[in-house]
Amino acid sequence: MAAIDIPEVHKFIETIPPFSSLNLLERKQVLTGVSMLYVRQGQTLVLTGEAATVHLIRRGACEIRTPKGGLVDQIADGECFGVSSVMAQNPDGLQVVAMEDSLVYRFNKTHFMQTLEKSEAFGLFFEYTQHNRLRKLSRRQSNELASPALQLSTPVAHIMTRQLILASPEETVQTIAMRMTEARVSSILVVEAERLLGIVTDRDLRSRILALGGSADTLIKDMMTLDPVSLPPDSLVMQAQTLMSESNIHHLPIVDEDKKAVGMLTAADLLRHQELSPLLLINQIHRQQSIDSLANVCKQWPTLIINLIVTDMKPVDVGKVLATVSDNLTRRVIELALDKLGPAPMAFQFLVFGSQARRDQSLGSDQDNGLMLEREPTTAESQYFAELSEFICQGLALCGIRLCPGNIMASNPEWRRTQAGWQQAFSTWIKSSAPSALLHASIFFDIRCVYGSEAPVLALIAAMQREVNKNSVFLATLTRAALATKPPLGFFRHFLLESSGEHKHQLDLKHQGLALINDLARLYGLSCQTYRVATLDRIEQAIREKLISVDTARNLIDAWDKLNGLRLEAQRRHWQATGKASAYLDPKDLSSLERKHLKTTFSIISDVQDVAQQRFLRGYS
Amino acid sequence: MQKLKAWQRFRQSTKRAWSEWEYLVLDIETSGLDAKQDRIVSVGWVCIRNGTIELDSARHIVLDSAKIGDSVGIHMITDSDVQQQGKRQESVLRYLRHLLRERILVMHHAPMELGFLKQAWQAEALPTFSVSWLDTLAIERTKAHRSQQPIQEGGFRLGACRERYGLPEYQGHDALTDALATAELLLAQIAYQGHDCRLQDLNQMGGGRVKFTTR
Repeated sequence: MAAIDIPEVHKFIETIPPFSSLNLLERKQVLTGVSMLYVRQGQTLVLTGEAATVHLIRRGACEIRTPKGGLVDQIADGECFGVSSVMAQNPDGLQVVAMEDSLVYRFNKTHFMQTLEKSEAFGLFFEYTQHNRLRKLSRRQSNELASPALQLSTPVAHIMTRQLILASPEETVQTIAMRMTEARVSSILVVEAERLLGIVTDRDLRSRILALGGSADTLIKDMMTLDPVSLPPDSLVMQAQTLMSESNIHHLPIVDEDKKAVGMLTAADLLRHQELSPLLLINQIHRQQSIDSLANVCKQWPTLIINLIVTDMKPVDVGKVLATVSDNLTRRVIELALDKLGPAPMAFQFLVFGSQARRDQSLGSDQDNGLMLEREPTTAESQYFAELSEFICQGLALCGIRLCPGNIMASNPEWRRTQAGWQQAFSTWIKSSAPSALLHASIFFDIRCVYGSEAPVLALIAAMQREVNKNSVFLATLTRAALATKPPLGFFRHFLLESSGEHKHQLDLKHQGLALINDLARLYGLSCQTYRVATLDRIEQAIREKLISVDTARNLIDAWDKLNGLRLEAQRRHWQATGKASAYLDPKDLSSLERKHLKTTFSIISDVQDVAQQRFLRGYS
Repeated sequence: MQKLKAWQRFRQSTKRAWSEWEYLVLDIETSGLDAKQDRIVSVGWVCIRNGTIELDSARHIVLDSAKIGDSVGIHMITDSDVQQQGKRQESVLRYLRHLLRERILVMHHAPMELGFLKQAWQAEALPTFSVSWLDTLAIERTKAHRSQQPIQEGGFRLGACRERYGLPEYQGHDALTDALATAELLLAQIAYQGHDCRLQDLNQMGGGRVKFTTR
């Protein structure tokens, strides 16, 4: 067999790692005996016999699946498959399915192996690829947390208990046992002039008093653990964990520079932190008695979101989980407000709009909310609701849900209305075609009740929906607005990028992508008979009411899912790097396959925009 | 009678799967468009076996009789290339004939290429020789015709055909690159015909048999 001397082949191989690390001679060697094949989309490649070797995708995309069909990896131009059949003694029987028509180089096994042996960098690369794929495989299978390091690097101050049960050294075992039982804790800190002196735990009471037949009148100072192991509040969870397991203790007092006890960390706290779950967070939210402690608990909020993202939860489910947590947080803040200001003079509903209503919040979402009152308030009642709203909005802000820059909040008297008042507002927007009405449509028409009786809100929504349905001019205006922004289809080809500022050469996934789908879904949703508020539910409803074809709708659902996934991932990356949320995406962070997907996604949005234009603008444009 | 039997045997065998055959995909660069006046400057080819393109089989040969002149701009072959690596047209044709004994000849736009080959055959006075051929352009045209999808002017050029199958855009346009490009196009066309594609099917879409004679 002669060496291959085809310029186009060399030109391609030269740019692809790890082939690019080979010199010309080595490259010729690895190319010896290479053949090319063309695989149709959907076709499965059987890697047996001579085909049990490394393949390089020249153009196209493939999925790697387990023998049972589980997805392991998706690869495209310039990426290899079949590595395991060359690298490992026991091929793992992974299947390769073409996701697109693909042109593929098939290496000759013998020559490939020789190159592997000769070039260390080359070999390492494939070992890494192989290892990485196995890691992905196990991650898919066990759904383990991808980023335990993230949690270990949290300061203990974030997860320790601040409500301390303290005792003085002169107290008796009996009294502290009673206090511990009452507070339902398993340890008590012994302090003198606020300085930590010692600790007594359940186990101490058992082994140092009961087991030895000691007296209930024994003084604490005679049986406590003197000068216990402790840590400052800025130590990391990992340090605490290591210390506790080394010293074989389950209670770790947290002390400041002056030896003052500021917190207590138990093994249970650590466990709870590691399993930081939405349910636990909701539980904690409902246990908090002040906005301050609530705000403290909510510091876990970004971590929770990041955990959800890294566990590969579906974007739509991430949205639902976050909505559930923020609904509960909102309710708890309202309860605290009512505790402080006394019961409300009349029934009211707390309304949420925008992303919280649609259940697609993410990191850094801000509040959009309002109040619905049972009747017109008197001046005094007005004052009460003003204070109540102020407390709620500021409280939510302290808990990490930013104030709305557009002042669409219950704290704004404009957005505290009776049912009739709200109905009037919607009516005005629907009849008017002013730009401000459309701005309102994009926020207020996504509406949900999170506190109070739901019935009046549902009645409001039903009336609004009927009015929209009657008014095809409003639908046409809404359509024009929904079509005003086009997806950045030429993004990758022509670099139609944000031309200036911080996010130069980056793509705004929210405003250039998701918002367009949300707008389309709202348009279809509002023209349905039945109101739905979540974007995907609206699309499903439009299918049910035969306003949109199943294919078109399914494509749009996929597009929403894809974009949301990318946004969450971009936000996670950005948050972990800078501590700020950003839905901007740097195209460099994408693989060629992801870029291709994104392009398809944009063209789907564009297609549905055309379909919507046909449906709602016929006779109006 | 002998000939008829051979022909029948061939007809019968075309019913076998396409991948049981071997192919030689050929591209030739010429000094102009008229087979009577102009000459072959270079040839490039690559073989297909077991349904895959064997890159090892790729060859690019510049002919020594080529007069370059004005066409340098098109195919970038210079007089010094010819002097350094030029091969005699006769030996190249003999080599091709040897390779084509067990293979099907594949080209993009066969009339042109076959015209030049016939002319060269006569000029070198080589013995009569028959070969079966496929034309990826003709296959593409038949396909478009069958699906009643009109293809724009220029849409049958090699690059345009390749684009429809998602094949990469190649920069170079020498005989070797074009031969490889044509080979990939053929695989793509076959993939679109389905698994059970037979040589016969391809033949019907755009193929035939040609006889190179001395006169």
